[in-house]
Amino acid sequence: MSQAAIELQDVEYTGKFSLSIWRKLFAYAWPYRRQVVGLFSGALTLGGLEALFPLVTRSVVNEAVAHGAQARLWVCALIYVAFTLLFGITVMAFIRLAGWISSTVSHDLRRRGFEHLQELSFSFYDRRPAGWLVARLTGDCDRLSNIIAWGVLMDVVWSSCNVIGTSTVMLSLNWRLGLWVLVIVPGLVLAGAYFQPRILKLSRAIRKQNSAITGAYNECIAGVRTTKTLVREEHNLREFQAKTGQMYGDSVRNAVLSSLFFPLMLTVGSIGQALALWHGGRMVLATGENPHPDVGTMVAFINCAGSLIWPIWELARVMADLQNAQAAAERVLGLIETEPQVKDTPEALAAMAAVRAHGGPAAGEALDGGPRDIQHVEFRHVNFHYVEGQSVLEDFNLTVGGGQTIALVGPTGGGKSTIVNLLGRFYEPTGGEILINGRDYRQRSLLWLQSSLGIVLQQPHLFSGTIRQNIRYGRLEATDEEVETAARLVCAHEFILKQDKGYDTEVGEGGVKLSTGQKQLVAFARAVLADPQIFIMDEATSSVDTETEQHIQRGLAAVLTGRISFIIAHRLSTIRKADRILVIEGGRIVEQGRHRELIALHGQYYDLYTNQFTEERTSEVLARHAPPAAAKAAPAQ
Amino acid sequence: MSGKLGTLWGLMRGHRLRYAMAIVATLVSIYFMYQVPLIVGGTIDLLYPKERAPQHLTYVHRALDRLGGRNALGRNLALVAASLILMRAFSGYFLYTRGRWAAVAAESIAKRLRERLYDHLQHLPCRYHDKAETGDLIQRCTSDVDTIRMFLGSQVVEMGRALMLLIVGLPFLLYLHVWMGLMSMAMIPFIVGFGVAFFSKVQRTFKASDEAEGKMTSRLQENLSGIRVVRAFARQQYEIEHFAQANSEYRRRWYRLMQLLSFYWPTSDLMCFTQQGIVLFAGAWYVSRGDLTAGDLFTYIMYVNLFLWPVRNMGRILADMGKALVSIGRVGEILSQPVEVEQELLSQPDNVAQPPSAVAFLAGPHANGHDLGVAKSPSAMATLMEPHLNGHSAQPRAAVPHAGTQPAAPPGEIVVKNLVFNHGPEIPVLRGISLRIEPGMTLAMLGPSGSGKSTLINLLLRLYDYDTGSIRLDGLELRALPRKFVRAQIGSVLQEPFLYSKSLRENIKLSCTEAADEDIVAAASAACIHESIEGFENGYDTLVGERGVTLSGGQRQRVALARALLKNPPILILDDAFSAVDTHTEKMILRALRNRHGRRTTIVIAHRLSTLMHADRVIVLDEGQIVQSGTHDSLIAEDGMYRRLWQIQTSLADDLAAELEANGAKAK
Repeated sequence: MSQAAIELQDVEYTGKFSLSIWRKLFAYAWPYRRQVVGLFSGALTLGGLEALFPLVTRSVVNEAVAHGAQARLWVCALIYVAFTLLFGITVMAFIRLAGWISSTVSHDLRRRGFEHLQELSFSFYDRRPAGWLVARLTGDCDRLSNIIAWGVLMDVVWSSCNVIGTSTVMLSLNWRLGLWVLVIVPGLVLAGAYFQPRILKLSRAIRKQNSAITGAYNECIAGVRTTKTLVREEHNLREFQAKTGQMYGDSVRNAVLSSLFFPLMLTVGSIGQALALWHGGRMVLATGENPHPDVGTMVAFINCAGSLIWPIWELARVMADLQNAQAAAERVLGLIETEPQVKDTPEALAAMAAVRAHGGPAAGEALDGGPRDIQHVEFRHVNFHYVEGQSVLEDFNLTVGGGQTIALVGPTGGGKSTIVNLLGRFYEPTGGEILINGRDYRQRSLLWLQSSLGIVLQQPHLFSGTIRQNIRYGRLEATDEEVETAARLVCAHEFILKQDKGYDTEVGEGGVKLSTGQKQLVAFARAVLADPQIFIMDEATSSVDTETEQHIQRGLAAVLTGRISFIIAHRLSTIRKADRILVIEGGRIVEQGRHRELIALHGQYYDLYTNQFTEERTSEVLARHAPPAAAKAAPAQ
Repeated sequence: MSGKLGTLWGLMRGHRLRYAMAIVATLVSIYFMYQVPLIVGGTIDLLYPKERAPQHLTYVHRALDRLGGRNALGRNLALVAASLILMRAFSGYFLYTRGRWAAVAAESIAKRLRERLYDHLQHLPCRYHDKAETGDLIQRCTSDVDTIRMFLGSQVVEMGRALMLLIVGLPFLLYLHVWMGLMSMAMIPFIVGFGVAFFSKVQRTFKASDEAEGKMTSRLQENLSGIRVVRAFARQQYEIEHFAQANSEYRRRWYRLMQLLSFYWPTSDLMCFTQQGIVLFAGAWYVSRGDLTAGDLFTYIMYVNLFLWPVRNMGRILADMGKALVSIGRVGEILSQPVEVEQELLSQPDNVAQPPSAVAFLAGPHANGHDLGVAKSPSAMATLMEPHLNGHSAQPRAAVPHAGTQPAAPPGEIVVKNLVFNHGPEIPVLRGISLRIEPGMTLAMLGPSGSGKSTLINLLLRLYDYDTGSIRLDGLELRALPRKFVRAQIGSVLQEPFLYSKSLRENIKLSCTEAADEDIVAAASAACIHESIEGFENGYDTLVGERGVTLSGGQRQRVALARALLKNPPILILDDAFSAVDTHTEKMILRALRNRHGRRTTIVIAHRLSTLMHADRVIVLDEGQIVQSGTHDSLIAEDGMYRRLWQIQTSLADDLAAELEANGAKAK
């Protein structure tokens, strides 16, 4: 586990430029090639227009100087207006196009990523915290689409076109003077190449420190009692100061670099202007009567020299950013290209295709043409490990017939949850096979199997939305009555009605507004509503109080009849009624049988049972002392 | 508003001079920069002489004339070029200085603000944290502080620069030609006004886009953290559709924002071009009439270019400044919350004979309950140090102070009298508790949830303050003792122990930062967690949390116990600390605790009889009152909760048999 976490230490730099990654990335922009071409030509136009602009100034100045009172300035004014309008329209078009492309590509990448995440196996999730995945589909996707639209298509095209255009203008006006001015270009490029990657690297470091600081605040608040009782305030503050100190150092360094970079570029730019003035001036002085270059050209040169810094600035920024973006692209594309470990086998896919070709499954048939109902489940010589070399199940054998309730008991880490995870095909056996109705379940459809399950987990997870929506998650087309019936069955109805808005009460993100016990009840109702063929409970009622638990027992009996059920049990009442109890330890069944038989055995089960028995009775005694309101509602036994 | 500006001014303390210097540097930088157009203009005038000399000569004209005029210009051009570069370089140098000073000031202020918030949060009473929302607090400490930082570090600075560009520029512009000067600023009010209007107006769209992004992110987050539920119900398709909605909505909102910006930028560009056009054509017209020289015209063109773009940003900055004020208000709200204050010590007549250590505690910088707290245990306490877990103590630890010169009774005596505590005005939690715990005694508490056990513990730890009654620690009124001193005397394992995202070693060492590795292992062994820790790949260096291992509830409780044991305090409190530990392990831990070198006053809250029965005394709490009190033997002799628990255990075999029979009967 810890090793997996270390692997996720984000690679920020990938040294080499990888063409294949960019090709894959640009494939996401390919469907929008018309917009891409539009943006490309917009950037080209813009770069060109800006390069030509000094020429307009030049002609105005020359006209005024040369023709005096007869100057036809209005012609120039018309050209100027046309120029600026064209410029404005192009800017508008390119912002729209770039905005459209970046938001669409990011949207598409995210959709692809999300859809793919729905297919990936649990083993994938075991090794990646949710927060890491979220960052891939939010920050990284946005960064990539931005670099495609604004960086490459916009800035690179515009800047290159602008530099080339400006150079062309200068060289065509006066090639010798042009060359003098262009001397500064290598200087500008060098400055950009030096500063921009460093500034970006520091910004990245600052972003990381920022999230470390956020984490520290989180811990400060969540652990405030621990801090107080351990009198850790001063130590904590010192540790926090180390974090803020680092952030301070990097931020100031970043600001210093930026405030060096900008004036430096301006100064280099002014060298170009000075060179234009110096050499241009000498040429003028050398020509005498009819000065060459003329005054307008001189003005144009000085303007050109001053404006050369901006495109090079942008170019350096995008180039530095590209390296960074490539790392993001590797992460996102890597996620999208991860093969799910559990997926439909070719034969299952073929079977499903055949059924679809014949107009869908017949009555009693699943979508792969096999029988819809599950009568029989068998684990045959099943081996399993999550991590190579750390076996969890070894040669595990189990046969369960229709309608049976199997209780799994035993110490934590013994393999109980693994058994139900394998049954649900969230993982597949690493050895042996699991048969459903006598057929290896890998030959059947994954969707069919998993939608035949109803699972209640120990940590109930609810989605934000109302209680009703959460229960309905079990069967989307259920009516309100059916939702309520399910809630009644698991004794959730009463507490739900006591909420502000009854079934329409919002549960908050992850269900935070409900207690764990209440969440378990809602999750239970959700599974009941699904009316599954196999019912699985993973210590699902551990946080429900004794009284509610007794209510649930009655509902549970109705739920369990007629289906195969696997119950990882916490409460004795559930275990006692099981058709078969398996004591699982170290990946093996160490005892099995009915309750009476196992008690009589005086073995492992007996110990587990008596321990649990004492705990339950103790909490019953304590509950009877609870405030009178609760005591009154206690059921008469 | 003025209050917020006052807060801002207060925040800038210690950096005001630096800001003033930054302003001066900006002025100087602009002054040098503004020489460049004059130099270029003067040179051009001399290069292209007209019949009519320029109306207003600048120092550049005069200087070039004095150096020999046009005839010597060939020689002087190099000088002109050099001075141009020099002016730019000077200007750049001061620009850099300004940037550096402003950054140091803003980042220092932000750093101080972050630290103040952090420390303030640590010292806010539990009552505050009970009510506060974590997400909101963090938002204020991070995004709001960042908004303030941006405001101080870049917005104020950029605003100042833009304003100075205009103010410093005005005399230059008006000197050469009054009308041209006025015209070169003609569009400025409109450009700035348009920016302010636009960005104030689109703030809603920005917000809508942020919200749509937030929704999309939280849908994603929920899906991923609930992926097991999604799979368990095979709801992939449903989730994909739901996410697609949020995803498209985000895209739509974001593109809407882009559309608005695609209106703003070209419009603003056109206004700027209009400004440049006015100067260009009016200037050309004056040139054609001979009122202005070509050099003057070029000077104007350059000036407008220099100030137009920074000034254009003013609109956006002005519109954004409102956000900074809101942020200052939000941050100020946290800082104005009163922290835990130590105030009653000196006014309490009971504690006339103040222990020197406690006084020293108060005299320190933390007397206002806010500063850095226990820097070092005062030496008076160090002399009273107790032997450490393994006989040697690395950290000077506080022992309970002794009243005056009285011979020292073994510390750790707690006397509670008529203790009353209400949670809020209407909800009584403790209704008059009196009890005495002798030094070295183990007291067990039993009672249903809500009976007040944990509250009593919280009061002992001074996490809350009691209303009436008294708690005395070795004869001293608890309320009058410094909180940190009291807490230093108590090692506690609370119901849901919190572990920091550090290594296991660091987590255990929290209570005793300089502990040696043997001590840590000893504490971990006593808490029966040593073997589990050794089982991890990185042993004691294994990280806890997202980037490391996830510990089970029982493991967390045991790590917290090891932490408390390492501290080796005079008083040990275990609040339901073994609830997630299995009975077998619990027995081993209890045995280790009993065998510890030198017994401590111990308070145990538990439900298991096996935990309770070895206590010197057991009290049963119900609805905030002690309903039973006695030893194991006396309590099983009287009717009550304790005896009922005892009966469960003793009659286990009979009950089982009865139950089996009943079940068997039902089955038939």
